[in-house]
Order: sequence, then structure tokens, then C-alpha cells
Amino acid sequence: MGSRASTLLRDEEIEEIKKETGFSHSQITRLYSRFTSLDKGENGTLSREDFQRIPELAINPLGDRIINAFFPEGEDQVNFRGFMRTLAHFRPIEDNEKSKNAAVSEPLNSRTNKLMFAFRLYDLDRDDKISRDELLQVLRMMVGVNISDDQLGSIADRTIQEADTNGDNSISFNEFIKVLEKVDVEQKMSIRFLH
Amino acid sequence: MRRLAMPGEFARKSETLDVGNNETRRTAAAETAEDPHHPTNSTGLKKAFPVLALNYDYVRKPFEIALWILLALLMKLGFHIIPRVSNVVPESCLLIGVGLLVGGIIRAIREEAPVLNTELFFLYLLPPIILDAGYFLPIRAFTENMGTILVFAVVGTLWNAFFIGGMIFGVCQIEGAQLAGVDLLSCLLFGTIVSAVDPVAVLAVFEEIHINELLYILVFGESLLNDAVTVVLYHLFEEFSHAGTVTVADAFLGIACFFVVSLGGIMVGAIYGLLGAFTSRFTSHTRVIEPLFVFLYSYMAYLSAEVFHLSGIMSLIACGVTMRPYVEANVSHKSYTTIKYFMKMWSSVSETLIFIFLGVSTVAGPHAWNWTFVILTVVLCLVSRVLGVIGLTYIINKFRIVKLTKKDQFIMAYGGLRGAIAFSLGFLLTDDNEMKSMFLTAIITVIFFTVIVQGMTIRPLVELLAVKRKNESKGSINEEIHTQFLDHLLTGIEDVCGHYGHHHWKDKLNRFNKTYVKRWLIAGERSTEPQLISFYNKMEMKQAMMLVESGSAARPPTHASSVSMQNIQPRESARGRAIPSISKSREQEIRKVLRGHLQNTRQRLRSYSRHDLLVDPFEDHVSEVRFRKQRVEMERRMSHYLTVPANRQETPAVRKVCFEPEHRVYTYDDGESPRGRAAQPRPGPADGVSLVSESPPGLGARGPDQEQEDQLKLSRCLSDPGPNHNKEEEE
Repeated sequence: MGSRASTLLRDEEIEEIKKETGFSHSQITRLYSRFTSLDKGENGTLSREDFQRIPELAINPLGDRIINAFFPEGEDQVNFRGFMRTLAHFRPIEDNEKSKNAAVSEPLNSRTNKLMFAFRLYDLDRDDKISRDELLQVLRMMVGVNISDDQLGSIADRTIQEADTNGDNSISFNEFIKVLEKVDVEQKMSIRFLH
Repeated sequence: MRRLAMPGEFARKSETLDVGNNETRRTAAAETAEDPHHPTNSTGLKKAFPVLALNYDYVRKPFEIALWILLALLMKLGFHIIPRVSNVVPESCLLIGVGLLVGGIIRAIREEAPVLNTELFFLYLLPPIILDAGYFLPIRAFTENMGTILVFAVVGTLWNAFFIGGMIFGVCQIEGAQLAGVDLLSCLLFGTIVSAVDPVAVLAVFEEIHINELLYILVFGESLLNDAVTVVLYHLFEEFSHAGTVTVADAFLGIACFFVVSLGGIMVGAIYGLLGAFTSRFTSHTRVIEPLFVFLYSYMAYLSAEVFHLSGIMSLIACGVTMRPYVEANVSHKSYTTIKYFMKMWSSVSETLIFIFLGVSTVAGPHAWNWTFVILTVVLCLVSRVLGVIGLTYIINKFRIVKLTKKDQFIMAYGGLRGAIAFSLGFLLTDDNEMKSMFLTAIITVIFFTVIVQGMTIRPLVELLAVKRKNESKGSINEEIHTQFLDHLLTGIEDVCGHYGHHHWKDKLNRFNKTYVKRWLIAGERSTEPQLISFYNKMEMKQAMMLVESGSAARPPTHASSVSMQNIQPRESARGRAIPSISKSREQEIRKVLRGHLQNTRQRLRSYSRHDLLVDPFEDHVSEVRFRKQRVEMERRMSHYLTVPANRQETPAVRKVCFEPEHRVYTYDDGESPRGRAAQPRPGPADGVSLVSESPPGLGARGPDQEQEDQLKLSRCLSDPGPNHNKEEEE
């Protein structure tokens, strides 16, 4: 596996990925070996079935949505760069990055981008709003089958009411950000990728 | 005191106001088996029957205890009435001051002062505070920072103990002054005692400055968990200060002992916690004693751990943490409130008493002032704390996602307060340790310095450094949902990466809890209730309580909880304006009148509707009265609904065009849903009802209809678990 990793991943690629995502060399190599271990078809890309083979993901309520998040619009295969691009959202925010000037395009793991990633998982139809139905779907996934629709409905309504400031009965991205301002998103949405 | 011994003591000690003379007393004393009320049996002299007698010794002990507690609480009350003082000086300082005063008074009258002896402190005063802290510990923050807390608690305390002990020993050797008698082990023992950060003092000071949760949990968590280290080191050094030497084998035994003490304590606590949770599953028939189980199991956990010299504090915390989610799902709302308030009450009393006793003991205790030693101790405490925090933070920050800033480090170093635990441990030192008085004096000085100086200055410093303060936000359903969402998301991503991190294990624990543990420990259908639903129910419950207590039906639009509310939001605020609100006394008056004249008002009761109140200005007073009565009925209904479980079969909403007949309001006692009769519209028209029936269904019928629907919605959400609803209604 190790030798495959070094032959199939060229240094230029590693550099590009590093620039785009901010991962370190060792992290990229490690994640590449994970990528290849998932890639049973050995064709350099992952399909949905490869992801579904991960056992814990099958029992995760949000499993399907997470898998979908890796695949760009309408495609069925994701290559290593796309894989890393998605995972880059979960990189911890380094202190030295915080002071970067706004002229540089925002790194993938900034707070706004992290929240945007989460928002997209709610907002399936990409209309930039979490409607009541979308919220209901997510609630249903998280809560299971024992709760009645009506009860979930009232929870959803209350949620929207709490967050909605412009009265359109749905949660826009800005409202989403506002609601989560007290939550420490930088910590919650970061995974410590071990060196 | 045995009943039989009483006459003798009665005769000997008490100052009776009877007219009898000394002979009577002596003879009565001689025959101790005599009943004091019939001394005539033995002698010829008859004592006059004492109408009023003074017997202080009989009630002495409880009287004094009660008096102390009462005085302590009055002091506490007094401080808060004087606003200026309590803003500047933290309460703990004021209480110590009071203690010093009282101690001085007691010393002046040459009475024996009650000392903060070890037994009193460790067995009676400390457990309530720790239980309160452990039960309400913010678990999420605690587990997320567990690594940092452990490092500070274990390594930090070890560093403090050895640094202080070592340095003092070194200085003692150099000095040559009367400190030469202090050997290394005694120094290390002293270092251990004085190095532990004290939870009581930290709580007392940090509660008042409302610092952000991260810092609070770091300092407080450290103060809780360092108990294990302190216990082990203390016993280790005390044992060997008699023996004189410590070998390497002993050091290894010490390390093993540390693991035994901490893990054993946690295990004992967890076992009692599970027992408590299991017991609470069956308490649905005896709700009144539910809170007692929580307290007793926790106290037993503490005492059982202390029996084996395990860490009682960790046991107590483990018990509280383990028990809490299951107990809260099982007990009734009233029991939950009782538990919460009793815990807060006891811990408050304990804290007050501890500080006062500290002051009293300072005046009373044997002192041996040695300038060098005391100043050295204070300085070394500060220095070692600062060095420890800086050094450990440097190492820890390599592993943390959210790094600790310089400000955080400063507050952590400054917040390392010592308190009564150090004093009690010092007191516990055996008397043959000749340095005991000197140690005690130094310990007290350090405690005073940290609590008074650091406690007083930390608030302005926090403001000066603009440290982040606590977010005073009430629970938001949004945050709860999104936090859970993010948990699942992160767990999924971790699985994709093949990385077994924090979320992965938390998820595994939750799953294990859900499939195996909850079934055994939670009664009834609550065992399958997802966390989100419980949270939502709690919020709704809180809101319903607020509704009932607010005394007016004007619900602010932002707190609406039912679907229909949204649709009529604009009219709701209009309704809010139209409703008059009356004072409580008037309400009582009205209720009294109504109860007396119930029969008369029945027929004329009108349904509650917006139109009603506006169109009959000449009937204002009456409609007001009727409205109030309806509110009373609503409240009664609501309290009934509070005992009905959530999964009721809900009937579809029925649009009523006519108002409900009067007597329907009273038929809910059958447990029947008011909707059950909705299918048969009652014909009884009374004045003003035609208004309701004629108005378009979307508007006018909203009045009673909507209330009913809201009730149902509330009832679905509010669940007070327990198979016996009827019994609960009586409580």
C-alpha cells in the first residue's frame, strides 16, 4: 500500500493539493492511503458503493447525505482531489491563518466555509434556504421512526420561528450563521488529523 | 442522653427556678434513678412544681448548630442587601471576615470556639458542594476538554507539590534559623497540602465573575480531579514521614495507588449512580421520596469511597454524572425541581459555613508565626502556579484544536485558589508533627491571600483584560438540533477518514447507551425517546409554566409553540392588546366570588373570543370576570394535561362554529378528550354567541378552537411519565 501510494501520487499533485487545501505532506499521504484502501475497484476514483461499504457510515443517520457531499453536482465518481477538497473543510483553523488578509481567497476551512458545508447538507435543492420540508427530513432522519409527524412538525416550526428573522418561513444562510454564532464551530467542525 | 441519666444531670447542672433547696438536689442526685418530677418519694421536703424551667443542655447541640447556620445565612442575606459591598468584595471574603469577627468575640468571652475539624468538614460540609457541582457539571464541555483538565490536575498538582516542597526544603537548609528541623518529607507533605487548587474557593469566586465556560470548566475540573493526586500524595508522605525514607519501590506503589484511588473512586461512584438510576425507575408510585434517593445514593457513594481511602470527590462526581440523565428522565417535574433546589440550598449553606468556620478557626487555632516560612510559602505558591500553567499550556496547545491564549493562561494561573481542603488536611496532620502549628499558620495565610487578594482582584482583571464572559443564553432548539446534526456529520467524516477520534467514541457510547442501558434504567416509554424530543419537551414545559405563571393570556408572538399560532400572528398581538390584566389580589377576590356563585355564572359563561371582549363595553367588568374564570379553568386543564403522556391518540382538529356548552368544561375529569364531544355541536345559544357562530370559520372560531388545539399540542409535548396519571393529579 505504501509503495503504491508513492508511485501513484506524484509530488506535483501533492503540492497542488497542499496549496489548495492546506494539508501537510504527511497528512496528504496518509489520507491517500485511506483513499486507496476504500477504492476497491482500483481505478483511482471512488463511487458511492465504495463509501457505503464503510460500516459505521451505514448506521449514521446522515450517512447518505455525507456521501453525497463528496460527489460534485451530478457526478458519480470522485477522485482524490475532490476527496481532499471535501475533507479540507474539516481541517482545524490554524492561528497563523486567522490573520491572513481578506485579499487571499478564503481557505476551505474557514468558519464561513465550514458552515456553508453544513448548510448544504440541509439544503438539498440548493435554493439557499432551508425550507420546512428539508428541516423535517433531517429531523426525521435524526429522530427515528417512533415520533409522530405532528410532533416533528411542531419542532420544525419552532425551529424556523426561532431562526427566521425576515419572515419567509425558511432559514437562509445568514440566519443559519446567526443562530450558530454562540456555538464554537471552529472546534466542533474540526478533526484533528494526526501527523 | 439516656432518659434515666437525666434526673441526675437535671439536678446537678440545670438552674431550676423551683423553690426547692440544696438538700432536695443532693438527695435527688443520690438517687439517680428517681424521676425528677416526684422527689417527694425520697424525702419529706416537697419541691414546688416548676412552672418554668431552664434546661439548656438538653438542646445544646442542635440549638447551637441551628444558631450557627441561621447566623451564617443571615450574614449572607445581609451582604446582598448592601449592593455596593457585594460588587467589590466577593462573598467568600466577607464570610471569612465575619468568621474572624465571631472568632474574636468567642475568644474574648473565653468560650471554646467550634473548630473546623476534619471530620465535620470532610463528612458533612464538603459533600453537598461537590455533589451540587458534579450533578450540574456541563458534561459536553468537560469531556471535550478532558485531556487538558487531566493534565493540569495530575501533572500540574505533582509539579506544584514537588516544587514547593523542594524549594522550601532547600531554603530551610540554607537559612539555618529555627527551620532546620524541617526534613524533606515534611516539606513535601506540606507542599502537597498547599498545592491543591480548591473547588470550594474556585466555585465561590468564579460563580460571581461569570467567566466563559471553557475557562470555568478548566479551572474547576482541575480542582475536582486533583483530589485523587492530593489523597495519594498526602497519604504517601504522611506514612513515610514517620518511617523517614522513601524507596523507589514505594514510589512505584504510590503510582499504582494513584490509579487505584482515582479509578476505584470513579467505579464506586458509577455503581452507586447506576443503582440510583435503577431505583428511580420504580418510584412512580412514591414521588415524594424521589429526591431522597438521589441524595442518599450520592452520599453513600462518597462515604463508601472514603472507607477504602479512595477519592471521595471523584466518586461523588461520577455518581452524579452517571445518575443524572436517567433520573431526570424518570422523576416527575416536581421532584426534579426539588432535587435542584435542595442541592443548591445545601451547597450554599455548606459554603457559607465553611468560610465562616475558616475565619473562626483562624482566630482560635494554635499559631506559630514564622516570617520567612510564611512569605516563602505564599511567593512559592504563586510562582509555581504560574510556571506550571505556562509550561503545561505550551505542551497541551500542541494537541488542542482551540488553543489556550495568553489571557486564558493568566486567568487559569490567577484562579488557582486554595481553600478549606488545604486547611482541613493540615489540621489532619498528626500532632506529633512538631511543625504542625507553623504549617497551619502558613496554610491559613496562603488561603487568605488567594481568597481575599486574588478573589477580590480577579473581577476587575477579568474586565480589564476583556476576557470572554459566559453566554447567558436560554436553550435554543436550533442550537440543539444543529449541534446534534454536526455531531452526526463529524462522526461520519471521521469514519470516512478511518480516524477513530472523539466523535467516534462518543457516538459508540451513545449507541450503547441507547440500545442496552436506557432500557433498564428508564421507566416506561421514555426509554425510547430521542434526546431531541426530551429537549423539546423540556422547553415546552418551561414555556407552559411561564404561561401559567404570567397571569395574563397575552402570549408574546415569539414564544408561540403551535402551528396555528403562526397563521394568526398579527391577530395575536391584537388579542394581546385587548386583554386587560389585573393584579393578583383582585384575581383572588374574583376567584372567591366565583366559587361562591358558581351556579349563577354558569349559564352566562361565554366562550373566549376576541370579538366578545371588544363589542360589549357595558359588560366589561362581567366579561373580565368570566375571562378570569376561564383562565382558571384553563390552568386546571393544563395541569391535568401535564400528567398525560405524550403519545396520545390525537383526534383531528375540528372546526367548531358554535361555542362549547358550559358543562363541558367540567367533564374533563373523566380523562376524556374535550374533543370527544366536538362532533356534536351544542345548540345552546346565549347572548353574544351568535357572533361567534356567524363569523367565518377561519376567524371567529379560532377563539375556543385554538385554545383547545393549543392545549392538545401542549399536552402532547408535555409528558410527565408514570403509569398512574390519576394519582399524580392529586399531588
